Amino acid sequence: MKPKEIDREQLKAIIDRHRGKTWALIPLLQEIQETAGYIPPESIEPVAEALNLFPSQVQGVITFYAGFSLEPKGKYVVRVCRGTACHVKGGRSILRLMRKELGLDEGQTDPEYRFTLETVACLGACFLAPTMMVNRNYYGKLNPNKVASVLAQYRKKKGES
Amino acid sequence: MEDITLTINGKNISCPSGTSILEAAKRKGIKIPTLCYHPDLEPFGACRLCLVEDEKTGRIMASCVTPVAPNMTIRTDSPAIKTHRTNVIRLMLANHPESCIVCSQGNRCELRQIAADLGVGEVDLYPMPHYTGLEATNPFIVRDLSKCILCGKCIRADHELVVAGAIDYNLRGFKSRPATLYDMPLERSVCTFCGTCLSMCPTGALSLKNEQYVGSPQNESKTICGFCGVGCSIVMGSVDGRIVEVNPSHEQETVNGSTLCVRGHFAHDFLNTKDRLTQPLIRDNGELTPVSWDAALDTVAKQLVDIKKKYGPQSVAFLGSSKCTNEENYLFQKIARVLFETNNVDSGGYMSGRPVLNRVEKRMDGGCRKNPLSNIEKAEAIVLLGADPGHSVPVVSYYLKRASRKGIPLIVVDPKKTEMVPFSSLWLNLIPHTDSQLINGLAAMLWKQNSLDAVFIDRFTEGFDVYCEGLKGLDIESVCRDTGLTMEAMAQTADLLAGKKIAFVCGNGILKQRYGMPSMGALLNLLLMTGSLGSERGGLYIPARENNQVGAWDMGAVPDALPGRRDLDIESARKDWERAWQANISPDRGLDVIRMVEEAEKGSLKALYIMGENPVRSLPQPERVRKSLERLDFLVVQDILLSETCKIANVVLPGAAFCEKAGSFTNMEGRIQSFEPVVAPLGEARADWEILQLLAGKMGSPQHYGSLEKVRGEIARFIPMYRDLDGGVDPGWVRQKGDRRLFEPDGEGTLIPFTPVVSIEHKDINDEYPFTAILGSQRFHLGSGTRTCRSGRIRDYGVKGEIELSLADGASLNLQNGDSVRVESEHGFIEREIKLEKGLSKGLVFIPVAFNANDVMNLIGLTRLGEPDSPGWQECQVKVAKL
Repeated sequence: MKPKEIDREQLKAIIDRHRGKTWALIPLLQEIQETAGYIPPESIEPVAEALNLFPSQVQGVITFYAGFSLEPKGKYVVRVCRGTACHVKGGRSILRLMRKELGLDEGQTDPEYRFTLETVACLGACFLAPTMMVNRNYYGKLNPNKVASVLAQYRKKKGES
Repeated sequence: MEDITLTINGKNISCPSGTSILEAAKRKGIKIPTLCYHPDLEPFGACRLCLVEDEKTGRIMASCVTPVAPNMTIRTDSPAIKTHRTNVIRLMLANHPESCIVCSQGNRCELRQIAADLGVGEVDLYPMPHYTGLEATNPFIVRDLSKCILCGKCIRADHELVVAGAIDYNLRGFKSRPATLYDMPLERSVCTFCGTCLSMCPTGALSLKNEQYVGSPQNESKTICGFCGVGCSIVMGSVDGRIVEVNPSHEQETVNGSTLCVRGHFAHDFLNTKDRLTQPLIRDNGELTPVSWDAALDTVAKQLVDIKKKYGPQSVAFLGSSKCTNEENYLFQKIARVLFETNNVDSGGYMSGRPVLNRVEKRMDGGCRKNPLSNIEKAEAIVLLGADPGHSVPVVSYYLKRASRKGIPLIVVDPKKTEMVPFSSLWLNLIPHTDSQLINGLAAMLWKQNSLDAVFIDRFTEGFDVYCEGLKGLDIESVCRDTGLTMEAMAQTADLLAGKKIAFVCGNGILKQRYGMPSMGALLNLLLMTGSLGSERGGLYIPARENNQVGAWDMGAVPDALPGRRDLDIESARKDWERAWQANISPDRGLDVIRMVEEAEKGSLKALYIMGENPVRSLPQPERVRKSLERLDFLVVQDILLSETCKIANVVLPGAAFCEKAGSFTNMEGRIQSFEPVVAPLGEARADWEILQLLAGKMGSPQHYGSLEKVRGEIARFIPMYRDLDGGVDPGWVRQKGDRRLFEPDGEGTLIPFTPVVSIEHKDINDEYPFTAILGSQRFHLGSGTRTCRSGRIRDYGVKGEIELSLADGASLNLQNGDSVRVESEHGFIEREIKLEKGLSKGLVFIPVAFNANDVMNLIGLTRLGEPDSPGWQECQVKVAKL
């Protein structure tokens, strides 16, 4: 299975809308990532050209921020918190379990582009530790059973679609 | 603004507000260690070594980015500061591989020096080196980014000085490194290998790839680059009399500052090739055989004098060099004019558009000589015509790119999408050789909007009325038709230029094209109408291709002018020089280089003395040139390399390269730069001026100079433009000559004439040769490539000089990248591989010169430039066939 097909026309329209606005690099990259799920490397040069920047500069900004990715991601991006509070509450075991369940290491995506496993420094929900996110949903006070049920939920969703 | 007073290490210092603490300290001779600071770069504050303490507040700050404030009491060496600094260095070293003993940066490593100054030897921290692969795939720069300390000098030099954009920081934190786009090796990025980053890198992260020598040179000494007309100040490092490395000189106020180009940095390898001439040679039984200097010079003197006696002064000619020094060209033409009573003297500048430039010279009467490139960044608008300076004169392209980044409108007029186009406000993609219509059209549009400098026109010019009549009659629609530009593009251009002083940078695309004369005429008119001439904010910049093309002309190494650019046709000029030289000067114009070849072919020219030129490679129709030079009774070539021309000479005299002798060059700005030898000439070779004066002695000249100073003294005495050449100090700039009011400080003098608008009959394209080939340079080679083709690293880089075709033509001819084609004009053909380029219009073919023994010269005719119906040396009609 391949990642979601990119709508090149749409990307071009997004870039054209920001043409000439050098300050708008980050909003533009965010919009591309939002639309395509990641920033296709081949869009670096058109972005640079539109904003009158060097392609190497645009790449520098993309690689600086953990929030931008130059690689396609899975349909569901799982972010396990590695912050201090979560660590104290057993976040490391949650991550270990996740790795095992998904068969992925941190930063990896499965070949079907269903799941991507990532870690973050803190999700800002320490009172729910240990926590993780799947796409935009928070899951707190995790334990092995809860992790399994959350994953089952997303695997099922996948089956439906 | 008021000055700010503070104390640093107990010394009272007063400096303008906005000065950084570091600079204030530097002015007082207080040294603060730095790794990321460079005077030519914006302050950055990355390395944290320049920390200083304010004694009053106890604040610790980075002195390079902190401006001075009133009543600061700064200590640069307090115990707290020393501790901080030591810790910074310890952390850097913990992250640095322990490879000092094999690192080519050796004792020049700034990190190591500072560590030593602080007494940091073995680091007691847990070593965490960040190993990256070693990148040594290109022949110029080795990148070992595990030694990178992230000072960002390379990135900032790339963005701020050279404006190439090849690298930027990638990733963050521990993994952060300078990287190219997609993290490719340098040769697959937009890097031009100018080497500016290499000269700035404080550690061994970027090092010179040098097959000949590893380590620090024994001696380093300053000179002027011998390639293009920019005249960069360089420092050459030598070991045992051989040049092993080149860096920018880092002095104040040089033309290049901290930058260089790939040729300046890496192409000087030719100095060490085995093709260098080390002893005089005489043809004996068809073979060039080594002889003594005495024997060689006796033969030359006797043969030349005999031929002159037998066939008269017109049978001998002298071809001087736009690569040799002012002093040498002066002596050379003096030998021709005084000892041989002939004006048959020329230099390589003829091939770089001198006939067209002669028009400028005549109209300005020698004004308009000083054009500092630094003014480009002060211009109100810039028009770049027929030039791709990124390839031909790279340092000029840095000025243009910096100007464009500052927001100065840059208009690129070129049939090809050059590297400057992405930096331009507008690209006028015109049909080749329609520049004069375009310029006149723009002038008409500006004139109709009344966008002209009436005060300037009134005060400094004449003939504006006649010019206006011409502009009135111009139909902009037909200009659009001729040039292939849209009305909208023309209007946009006129809008960008309206009411502004304009700097025109005008390259071989104008100087060597078929309609170079009318184009230059039109351009001068537009410069006058807009009042751009003589202003800092505008003007005319002619990128000279060869280092002393301007100086050779000034020294009179031309057939129609005496030294000081005095017109040979003017009696008073001849009289002045007759008095100076105590000799008679022939009033007859001499042969230019093309006519020398033609006369040799006819048999009327019997002897030719060539100094530092290689016409068999650099002139059109090389085979014809070779055959005609072979017809000469006597050919002397004085050169540094065993060139194609040396191979057919009767006597070969080994001269010295620029770094092996003293002298002076005049660059494209009109800056006279004198220099001293870095190393001694190779073997028995001698400085060219010495050879010339020995020869003059043998040919009966009563005058003996004995030293270069005496030659300079004579030049300074008799050529007012070079008055400052005398004496040991830096001669500075060429002085203005002539009496045009515009260039006279007292506001007296003559007016500059407008010339009438010339219309050009459009020629139908011959169906047999449907393509227009544009010949252009490629940054790795200079001129015909006599020297750069012998540079090891340039050869190793392996640029092939593919012929470039448009995608459309590629499709219709069924051609793909790497296919071979035969390109044929009415004069000859060449065969090469091709490359399809997006930036070319249909019907255009771009052919880089200097490759394959400069075979491209076969395509163009040996007609004199600027004559009616001249084919031009910049473009020709061709047909293209797949092989």
